Amino acid sequence: MSSSDNGTNPTLRLQGIGKWFGSLHVLDDIDIDVKTQEILTVLGPSGCGKTTLLRIVNGLILCERGEVSFKGEVVDGPRPEMAMVFQNFGLFPWKRLDQNIGYALRIQGKEKGEIDRLVSHYTELVGLGGFEANYPSQLSGGMQQRAGLARALAAQPDVLLMDEPFGALDALTRETLQEELLRINEAEPKAMIFITHSIDEALLLGDRVLVMTPRPGRIRFQFETGFGRGRDLEEIRGGKRFQALRHYLWEAMRNPEEEPEPIPDLVIE
Amino acid sequence: MATDAPAATGVSTDERAFWERIKEPAVYVRLISLVVVIGGWELMGQTGNIDPVTFSYPSAICVAFWDLIASGQMTAAAYESSQILVAGLLIAIPLGIVLGILMGRFQVFEYAVDTYVFALYATPVVALAFPIAMVLGVDFVGKTTIVVFFAIMPIIVNVYHGVRNVDLSLLEVTRSFCSTESQRWRDLIFPSVVPYLVAGLGLACGRALVGMVVAEFLMSISGLGALSQDYIADLELDKGLAPVVLLMVVGIALTKVVNICETKFSSWRVRQES
Ligand SMILES: Nc1ncnc2c1ncn2[C@@H]1O[C@H](COP(=O)(O)OP(=O)(O)OP(=O)(O)O)[C@@H](O)[C@H]1O
Ligand SMILES: [Mg+2]
Repeated sequence: MSSSDNGTNPTLRLQGIGKWFGSLHVLDDIDIDVKTQEILTVLGPSGCGKTTLLRIVNGLILCERGEVSFKGEVVDGPRPEMAMVFQNFGLFPWKRLDQNIGYALRIQGKEKGEIDRLVSHYTELVGLGGFEANYPSQLSGGMQQRAGLARALAAQPDVLLMDEPFGALDALTRETLQEELLRINEAEPKAMIFITHSIDEALLLGDRVLVMTPRPGRIRFQFETGFGRGRDLEEIRGGKRFQALRHYLWEAMRNPEEEPEPIPDLVIE
Repeated sequence: MATDAPAATGVSTDERAFWERIKEPAVYVRLISLVVVIGGWELMGQTGNIDPVTFSYPSAICVAFWDLIASGQMTAAAYESSQILVAGLLIAIPLGIVLGILMGRFQVFEYAVDTYVFALYATPVVALAFPIAMVLGVDFVGKTTIVVFFAIMPIIVNVYHGVRNVDLSLLEVTRSFCSTESQRWRDLIFPSVVPYLVAGLGLACGRALVGMVVAEFLMSISGLGALSQDYIADLELDKGLAPVVLLMVVGIALTKVVNICETKFSSWRVRQES
């Protein structure tokens, strides 16, 4: 990290993003900044354009309005500093688990020893050790999802784009990986955009939570969770602030039309 | 009988495996069917219900088969036929793959040639035998060309569909991780085309055999086609049918080879089923 960049300058800047699929207006006027080490969690009803937003940030599709910039450079296509965890996993059915996880590394032309080391590290990290020789069809949905996560982590990107990466996991694995993700964010600072349908998860992981409205997808509101770095998930869960924020988000999701009673000392943008 | 250690029962593992296999319907139903059909046919022949001038029966064909091999006629004819078959396939397979890939991947190329390809696909290739003979002659080149025309169509069409049906979400994965075009071919496009290609090769081998016989009947008469035709014309049906039996066996063998290739190239698919 350079001296001027102490984890607060935006790594990722989205300005006035507008997207149409034909006549369908999917995203409207999306402005988001994500700082170098920030985790932004995104909540929003199904079909409000979350996946579309990530694809635009990744440079996979163009937007009709606005632009995305990464460290000041306009994003006009995919770049190796970003990695995506796909909602539908996106594993190659004819590659073994280890080959799938090492995919990005091979694309980057890393040498074999380095690839093997990183692959085995991230395979263990997501709890898939011992399944290296299996093909995706021989893995459960949750295991495939973890493989997709390991593939993106192994690429060691500066920006990690995660599209409901824990959606298919059991509660216990989910919790383990949430802790792991926070630990990774601590050890190797990354800007993360994390899409989820779980309010708890959005609060536990997010430095900032952003809620979207559908048709067209707009930013409804966002706020800093304020739980701080190196947080202990158990402690947060039991805390008053978590409960209050959770209640606030539930109310907001239940009534798409009106904003809930504000909470003291919470800055809603 | 005890079913644990083979040594204790005195039954060798090989023998045991054999009886295990026989118990599968896939094996015994086929065996019974073969015995009934071939046995019935043979019985008709033995009881004098088949006129040897118009048709024959298994044991007579077997004897004729052996005679033709002993006299060297069968081997010579098979050698002659196999030259155009192998040459035809050696041209049709790579050419079909390349054309299919170009059509599937490059829109301009597709627009330029798809009219001809699909017109040819719909045309009975037999109808092309005479124009081909006029242009390329009735010998090796002309005959091989017929085999190529018969065999190449399913390869082109299948490979084309394989390239076209590449999973778009995986295409996006390769783009997301900044894959180069050549890496994309290796990681995504070739593997997705393999099952289509194998299906195409199976069809192509069958059609190549048909093309071979058609060429031998319609152009300068030669090989197994000639052998069969000559004896049928002489009303020696048993000898006339022996080359046909050989063609069947070759057809089945080619299909088997293609299946084995498929298993080798798509182990991930096979394991999925087991
Ligand atoms: N390639 C496309 N062509 C046309 N319409 C599309 C395309 N991709 C997405 N859409 C439409 O855009 C809208 C947003 O889709 P998107 O996948 O971004 O939603 P999402 O918020 O990720 O939903 P979910 O939570 O169910 O994953 C939907 O109405 C969808 O039908
Ligand atoms: Mg989505």
